[in-house]
Amino acid sequence: MSSSSPLEAPAAPASPPAPARRRARPGRQRLGRFLLKRIAAGLLLCVGITLVSFLLTQLVPGDPVTANLGQQASADPAAVAAFRHQYGLDRPVPVQYLVYLGNVLHGDFGMSQQSHRPVSTDLAEYIPATMELALFAIVVSIVIGVPLGILAAVYRDRWVDQVLRVVSLAGVSMPTFWIALLAFYLLFFKLGVLPGGGRLDPTETPPTHTTGFYTVDALLHGQWSLLGSALLHLVLPGLVLATYTVGMLLRFTRASVLEILGLDYVRAARAKGLPERVVVLRHVLRPALISIITVAGVAFGSLLSGTVLVESIFSWPGLGQYAYNSAKNLDLPAIMGVSVVVAVVYIVINLLVDVLYGVIDPRIRLS
Amino acid sequence: MRRSPAVGAMVVAAALLVSACGGGGGSSSSSSSSSASSSSASTSAGSSGSGGSTSSGGSTTTAGGDTGGGAAPSGSIVVETAFQLKTADPARMFEPTGLLIDHALYDTLLTFKGGDVKTPVPDLAESYTASKDGTTFTFKLRQDAVFSDGSPVTSADVVFSLQRVANIKGNPSFLMAGITVSAPDAHTVVLTSKTPNPAIPYIVPNSALGIVNSKAVKAAGGTDAAGADTADKAENALNSASAGSGPYTLTSYSTTSQVVLTANPKYWGTKPKYEKIVIRNVQANVQKLDVLKNAAQIAVDLSPAQAQGVSNVQVVSGASPNVFFLFSNNNSAVSKVTSNKDFQEAVRYGIDYDGLVKLAGTGAVQAAGIIPSTFVGSLAEGSGVKRDVDRAKAALARSGLGNPTVTLSYPSDIQVNGLNFGDLASRVQQNLKDVGITVMLAGQSVSTALDAYRAGKNQLGLWEWGPDFPDPSDYLNFLPGQLVGLRAGWAKGADPALEALGTKAGTTLDTAARTTLYQQIQTSMNQSGPIMPLLQPAQILVAANSVKNVQSNALWLVNLSELQ
Repeated sequence: MSSSSPLEAPAAPASPPAPARRRARPGRQRLGRFLLKRIAAGLLLCVGITLVSFLLTQLVPGDPVTANLGQQASADPAAVAAFRHQYGLDRPVPVQYLVYLGNVLHGDFGMSQQSHRPVSTDLAEYIPATMELALFAIVVSIVIGVPLGILAAVYRDRWVDQVLRVVSLAGVSMPTFWIALLAFYLLFFKLGVLPGGGRLDPTETPPTHTTGFYTVDALLHGQWSLLGSALLHLVLPGLVLATYTVGMLLRFTRASVLEILGLDYVRAARAKGLPERVVVLRHVLRPALISIITVAGVAFGSLLSGTVLVESIFSWPGLGQYAYNSAKNLDLPAIMGVSVVVAVVYIVINLLVDVLYGVIDPRIRLS
Repeated sequence: MRRSPAVGAMVVAAALLVSACGGGGGSSSSSSSSSASSSSASTSAGSSGSGGSTSSGGSTTTAGGDTGGGAAPSGSIVVETAFQLKTADPARMFEPTGLLIDHALYDTLLTFKGGDVKTPVPDLAESYTASKDGTTFTFKLRQDAVFSDGSPVTSADVVFSLQRVANIKGNPSFLMAGITVSAPDAHTVVLTSKTPNPAIPYIVPNSALGIVNSKAVKAAGGTDAAGADTADKAENALNSASAGSGPYTLTSYSTTSQVVLTANPKYWGTKPKYEKIVIRNVQANVQKLDVLKNAAQIAVDLSPAQAQGVSNVQVVSGASPNVFFLFSNNNSAVSKVTSNKDFQEAVRYGIDYDGLVKLAGTGAVQAAGIIPSTFVGSLAEGSGVKRDVDRAKAALARSGLGNPTVTLSYPSDIQVNGLNFGDLASRVQQNLKDVGITVMLAGQSVSTALDAYRAGKNQLGLWEWGPDFPDPSDYLNFLPGQLVGLRAGWAKGADPALEALGTKAGTTLDTAARTTLYQQIQTSMNQSGPIMPLLQPAQILVAANSVKNVQSNALWLVNLSELQ
């Protein structure tokens, strides 16, 4: 699912990052130029994505009319003509694309054939749901995966490392949908310690809408019961999603820390008699973070765009389900909308990761 | 600032505590206010089964319906189904979940009670008469019916609603094809068909023909005029708030998560038992766990295998009105093999119908004919085609085709009543191998497969037909030159005798006469022709024992307002 492989992460530096010099102003200018360039490239990329998505949807066998109209309506020329006209399918294909592009520039992604609503309205509803779930999962993954990865590296080839290796391999190997079903059955059905599907209990009314993140909205409006319910409902799908990313982060953190541990300056730090805790946390972790952040960024992107099965099992009304239903119904405007959103997500994440490189290692910022 | 994580943690902990104390995790089923029962609707006048004989000669239905009895609704109930939902606007809606929801929001001229779809009964119309020639149906509206805003339901609302369906040119518009609607006075509505149309009393109960409050819909940008397909802008409003006179009103609506209905305080009929109904989008295997856990009270989509062995819940099982059928394309341009009459006979007698029914699970039945067993005109159980391998082999030998190879097309990514097309296709492949026919399976995504099917390009096709309305005339589509007949390469003129029978059946009003005609049609189709009805899968509802009067309905799955 990822657009860039974690294996492409920049190599860890051979020495600890040098302290930032007093060259902040030129550095800030460079950062500004860098951001502008990346944003411009990102916009071009988005246009490219719309073109590729559009061409692919034209190549897919199947007709949106057939997929969306019933048996009788699809045999009625008047109904077919009305459908084609409503969704602009009666225009030449290049015109359809240009009109679409023009509309997108004005924030109009067209009308969804499956929900009969503007795609932008659908996206505004589904993106926060998936974003909330993905953020929960990535935070859990980082909080668990990174410390365990460090632990595995520090205790390399000892029993702790062996156990964590099994844990991480299990996490990345087991199919997410299987873990989801298992967790649902065990934690909801058998033990009853966590609620089942949905973002809230069925009879609860969602919190007053501000951001679309139920936890945030409930917090902002002081709806404590809803906040608790929203948090509880996040736990099960969030943990299921996190099983893969915990495993992945654990493996990459271990590898990255091990690489740094073998460098000369770490040996020098140990030779100076620094406690192992100080060596690891102060001299090893920071350079290792470059790789970890890269992997975490990619993992977050994949969480946002690849949660179809988990959303389906946990009845989570998010972007994954919307994308799946769009594809199933040949809902072209929705497919295009989701494609653009996923592209933007990856672009933004990669941009943030690049900026974070500079925060972690000033040499990258200065160069 | 340094204290903020601790403060945040305390807030989260407190919220979790509040939530836990509030009993989160599963909805509360209704408190059993047992006084709220239909029996208290003492003023109702024989609502069930009192409806219309559709016999010719200007027949009149008796008055019926209820008049606002019953205790106040209370409690809530959760119904789970895998959503097939695009809109709640009746004029644009024709998906199963939409039919379920709109039936609770919008009253229709006539309706069906429980699971009986053979007898339309009064709803907004207290009676109706049919002209002798079957072209004019006059409905007398009851005068006490009001919309959820308290305004009375008038014939103008009915005219507006039905004309809007026709002119929006959406999925349900075909229901009004060839039908015009007029209102001679405030409480009379006349439906006039160009040709005799005895199906009208069976068509008008469809939720898509629900009566909307014309003033409210017009205020929201709705129109019933010609050009409504582009001019009508009321859909968004109707997806936010309903404008009907049904027992429930729309509280919240989402095509992916859940739809919430609240009892209509101004409902003119018997009050429903439940104050609130939550309809959730949940996949089938999770529905089962939710019902067993009492996190939901009704699961709609379980397969027989999933429903097997469940305890402490009620299982309502019966034959679905959906009919799986196979066809051997009659068009020689598509296939010289499948269009061969002897080959078609070999296929017809080569299929192990009993085996298919067993595969479909408990509650499934063989489709004796193309008309479902619960509809007027269906063939008696057990009168369908039986497997006869020797006869099939003899027919194949007569065809002179040797051991032919043909391709079987079907949608591979959908289930109907929990039954996979792929499983059925594999079984058909095995059955026909016994006869000497090699079948290549060509499953495709439904959106792709539909194109070739509707274009009449499948050699062998395995498909399913769900009823548009519970009248046998809907199945005239299977005859030569008609919608499905053409998909099977069965062109007009291919069987003049059968087509004449179809024409006669489609215009005959007398129930007994039309029953006979439809049975003759099916008997003929079972003897020859390219279309072979296979089975009706089981339609299963699994419900908590606390919910009473759970009945499966061919049109709207379950009548939410009848639940007790």
